[in-house]
Amino acid sequence: MRLKSLVFGLGICLNISAYAADPIKIGIPVGLSGANSVVAPSMVQAAELAVAEINAKGGVIGRPLQLEIADDGSGAQGAQRAYDSLVFQKEVDGIVAMETTAARNAGLPIVNRGRVPLIYTSFYEGRSCSPWMYINAWVPEQQVEPIVDQFMSEYDAKKFFLIGSDYAFGRGMLKFTREYVESKGGTVVGESYLPIEGSDWTAIISQLRSANPDALITSTSGGAPNVTLTRQLRSAGVDIPYGNYAIDEGTAKSMGGDAEGVYLAASYISSLDTPANREFLQAIKDKFGDDAETPHELSVPLYDGIYAYAAAVEKAGSTEPSAVIDALSEVTVEGPRGAIKMDKQRHAALTMYLGKVASDGSVEVVKSFKNVDPGEQCPQFAD
Amino acid sequence: MPRKEITLSRTHRTALIGCLVGLCTVAIAPLFLDTYFTNILIRTLLLAAVVMTVDILWGYTGILTFGQSAFFGIGAYACGLVFTHYGFGPGWALGGLALALGSAAVVAAGTGWLAFFHGSSPIYASIITLALPIVLTQVIYSGGSYTGSSSGLSGFPTYFWSLEVWFWIAGCFLVLTTTAGWLLVRSDFGRVLIAIRENEDRSAYLGIPVSRIKTMLMVAAAMVASVAGFAYAAFSNVVAPELAGFQLGTELLIWTALGGRATLLGPVFAAIGIDTMSSWLSGAMPFFWKLLTGIAFVGVIVALPRGLAPLISGLWNRLRPQRNAIDFEASVVKAPGTRMLQGSFGDAPPLRIVGLSRRYGSLEVLRDVNLIGKGTELLGIIGPNGAGKTTLMRCISDGKERTTGTLYINNVEIAHSSPQQVVGLGVGRSFQNTNLFETLTVSECLKLARYRIDGASLFSRSDTVALPQPSLDILQATGLDKKLSEETKNLSHGMKRGLELAMVLATEPSVLLLDEPTAGLTRPERMAIGSVLTKLTRDFGLCIVLIEHDLDFVRAISDRVVVLHQGAILMEGTVEEVVASDLVKAVYAGHKEDESA
Amino acid sequence: MGSVIFDILTTAGILFVVASGLMIILGVMKLLNFAHGAFLTAGGYAAYLTGAAGISPWFSVPLAGIVGIVFGLLVERTIIRPLYNRPLDAILATWGLGIVISQIFALTFGRGVQFAPSPLSGTIEVLGIEYSAYRLAVSAIAVLLAIALIALLSLTRFGLNARAVIVNENLARGLGIDSTRVRAITFGLGAGLACAAGALITPLLSVDPNMGLPWLVNSFMLVLISGVSFPSLLLASLVLGGTQVLISTFISPILGGMTIVVLAAMILRLNPKGFSRA
Repeated sequence: MRLKSLVFGLGICLNISAYAADPIKIGIPVGLSGANSVVAPSMVQAAELAVAEINAKGGVIGRPLQLEIADDGSGAQGAQRAYDSLVFQKEVDGIVAMETTAARNAGLPIVNRGRVPLIYTSFYEGRSCSPWMYINAWVPEQQVEPIVDQFMSEYDAKKFFLIGSDYAFGRGMLKFTREYVESKGGTVVGESYLPIEGSDWTAIISQLRSANPDALITSTSGGAPNVTLTRQLRSAGVDIPYGNYAIDEGTAKSMGGDAEGVYLAASYISSLDTPANREFLQAIKDKFGDDAETPHELSVPLYDGIYAYAAAVEKAGSTEPSAVIDALSEVTVEGPRGAIKMDKQRHAALTMYLGKVASDGSVEVVKSFKNVDPGEQCPQFAD
Repeated sequence: MPRKEITLSRTHRTALIGCLVGLCTVAIAPLFLDTYFTNILIRTLLLAAVVMTVDILWGYTGILTFGQSAFFGIGAYACGLVFTHYGFGPGWALGGLALALGSAAVVAAGTGWLAFFHGSSPIYASIITLALPIVLTQVIYSGGSYTGSSSGLSGFPTYFWSLEVWFWIAGCFLVLTTTAGWLLVRSDFGRVLIAIRENEDRSAYLGIPVSRIKTMLMVAAAMVASVAGFAYAAFSNVVAPELAGFQLGTELLIWTALGGRATLLGPVFAAIGIDTMSSWLSGAMPFFWKLLTGIAFVGVIVALPRGLAPLISGLWNRLRPQRNAIDFEASVVKAPGTRMLQGSFGDAPPLRIVGLSRRYGSLEVLRDVNLIGKGTELLGIIGPNGAGKTTLMRCISDGKERTTGTLYINNVEIAHSSPQQVVGLGVGRSFQNTNLFETLTVSECLKLARYRIDGASLFSRSDTVALPQPSLDILQATGLDKKLSEETKNLSHGMKRGLELAMVLATEPSVLLLDEPTAGLTRPERMAIGSVLTKLTRDFGLCIVLIEHDLDFVRAISDRVVVLHQGAILMEGTVEEVVASDLVKAVYAGHKEDESA
Repeated sequence: MGSVIFDILTTAGILFVVASGLMIILGVMKLLNFAHGAFLTAGGYAAYLTGAAGISPWFSVPLAGIVGIVFGLLVERTIIRPLYNRPLDAILATWGLGIVISQIFALTFGRGVQFAPSPLSGTIEVLGIEYSAYRLAVSAIAVLLAIALIALLSLTRFGLNARAVIVNENLARGLGIDSTRVRAITFGLGAGLACAAGALITPLLSVDPNMGLPWLVNSFMLVLISGVSFPSLLLASLVLGGTQVLISTFISPILGGMTIVVLAAMILRLNPKGFSRA
């Protein structure tokens, strides 16, 4: 099924390239294989939808958009190939990327060399800066606060236990969490990591139980480590308030009862009851029918990112890279997540939603936090 | 010897031509390549150099390594870490390169120490090489902001030379390392590597320091890989944990297998071809591409163990006019006198065994054996099957074998020496089976036996081998001196026996252990061997310990006979005394059925 | 503290179950099965499919075992048999087979994580300690499996033949034992054990196409260090698994993750016989 939609997607690219001369090429490096292949189909759909919508309204500066999708293998080596191919072979005008941090880091030197504007649309551990890059997803400053505040106010939590996978995102998120918890007068009674592929959390759960904390916050790698941790916590009878930075709606749904009560914070939740989101969900359904993937925290920023690039080109009046880079901080995109402007040191203030997983695996929005500031990410780009 | 000049230069000439053609190709290639392919190829050429080292380790030497990526990663991280945290400039670059080489060498030596020792199984060694990149990746992940953890390091200052320059660097590196590798595997030392692959045990008993050679080779290969990694990082401006990961390590193996192991150029071209191809195919069909590689890999391993290269070279050979392969004419000369066999004519016995026993769990195979072997003496050891004769040989030739007891060779205690060290003390051992090195020629086999004494040239091949007189005598007696360029698998059984003996003698032993040296030989062949043995004891003062079933043969040449029974010395004496003994008769009668079984 | 003892016992049980299929193949066939991880994964998917079909999760383990045996016999005939005399090539071929199997799973089920229902959920109280019921059950099964395997090798005709092949294959063949058949059955049995183990541990974890991979190296180390004896494997699982738990709990789980590999390599370097009593 995924393969079919993919083939279908590639077919569309070819069609578009056939109908008009001189299109604007947007490169999408994405993990068609490797760890990100789980979420890749929804990302490809989001990108195709954005391009189709923009083209239906006449394109940008009179030119249609054209997608160039490349597999980054969810890692550094694959990303180098993907960026090489996009920048030097396909000669794209801009890149919109939802990738692992390793893949982004691998792509940046190539983007610098080829002078191509890059919009990075994945939440990440923060503080990645490049003259050619903008970021429209959340950083720790935006994610940590809603969950920790909720646990402190609602459950009167003082003692926190932190569990993560040993990689940049896991460590980065929990480092910030520790600082935030301590600044709010709480204490961190334990912070423990498992190797990134690790899925046997037995020893850490023992540590957790003997530390006897009031609340638990986890930041693991996605997929197996995250879900096995949640399941093993449940089977060990851990029932303290539990915030999870790595869970998304799809995972929560697939886990059924085990994820019940888990808190998460996101800039997008598919159950958001706004006109923009309703319209977006309908558009996905209309375009892809039965193959439609549920959009999520990773695919929607990609959709927004393509709109942001289009808006910047429109504003700059050309695809000239430095003009587009200048324009990107000035345009506002109205998407499913609301109005987003990447004017905070190349990052964006975002409305964050605190969600809680219900017994059927769906995510209910508990609270929303308007325009949470990303904080000091890239001071060199402050204006 | 004008012949020598010609043959020597032929290998070198081919290498030189190949090297020049390679360099010219590298020089002009960027003119015909677009930016995209140049980019892809720069990285691929560096990886191909690593694949070349994998082929030397695995294809030629038989070390199945999953861990060559670790050294590539070490080089890459040396570059990334130095440029990110310490400084940038020509001095820092050289320092970083030295760091890459140094740490790769240290890690490789450590891995070699863990993986290679006498008695370690090849499977165990493979698992150690598999564990290496896994542990290293974990260390990188744990390095936090210093190593960049999962994100790796990126955007550090580096030399932003034009793509052509980087292409030339990568291409020249590949061509030069491959030329060196090509010369290495064709040198005398290359024969030693093949011998280790074909029969590691036998090599050790010829005094070849197998574990040390493997470790050194691993260190050298690691250093080449680390330079490739360093260049990779400096060019791409990125390091990531996957560069050191076992995924890449296995990919290197897959390319080697597909290209054709032990062909050197096959794996190099396979790496370039497959890696370039996967750049565009993996995007179009990400899972299917991996599936196809997997299927091709299994298919090649099962059905085409030599890989694809031999198919292509076979075609090539058929297309081009057949040239007569002038296998160079090998010759033997007499080794310089100072290094002749040194037996003992004096009182000090070359072999002294005190209270030796050997237990396997609760089973006692040898019990309190005391034995003295004098110089100029031929000592026959007889006894029924299972009496412990071969175990005794093993205990003498390998210091780790015995459970208790002390052993002296020429008054030196052998302690826990490995077989190759025992050879160094002066013990030569021939085996029951004629397990020679099938693909090597007679002269190559003899050269192996001389490795401990004469060494082997790393990058060239000599056509003469210097042997002590008794070895020469045997070659002459068996007619092997006319077949020096023959592969040993084509020899008759008698000639194999003769070569075996000549090889053991070439190690210049003072104690010679022979396990049924005449089994399966014709009567004249036996008599020839017998007279050589007698001459060895008489003229060279050797102590020969001989296991033999044929009592007539023993009677004809032995001075003294020891009868082993159930792991203990039953009696000792002249052949006549032993044969006349009722005790011995009883023992043999009791074992008649076993003997015939 | 008490729960640490349970952690050690249950971890050892899981390690034993996971490694036993690998051990029997290595022992009899002198072949290190690099497809072991893929077989574990296959067991995981068998458990997932059993759950999805609405069959009681208790049946997933025997079902996975049967699937494994059939598949193992097939693989033995097509891939392993031609490589008997090339043990290092067999490593590579089984490694390639592992890649193929995991890619087939990825194509069939996607790269995503799937779940198998657990036959026992929640905790039970033993000796005053609340502990995961299913982990305790797995340990009990490990002990039963150890007894069954030891009985199989020491009491049955097949066991006798297998032990003969382990000790001296040529001699065994001389005595009229059909060693080809023994090997085929062994590989089937090993694959079956691996699949069953995969199905058994899946309720604690989750299934994805690479699920078995993290278990592979630890299993290799355990079987290399135990020689060819199930009691030694039990001991090795207890000692190495126990050390892993202790280091993970009291020092760092990251060091804990490397414990088995590093410790086993060191032990084997200093004493190549490991825990086996030859």
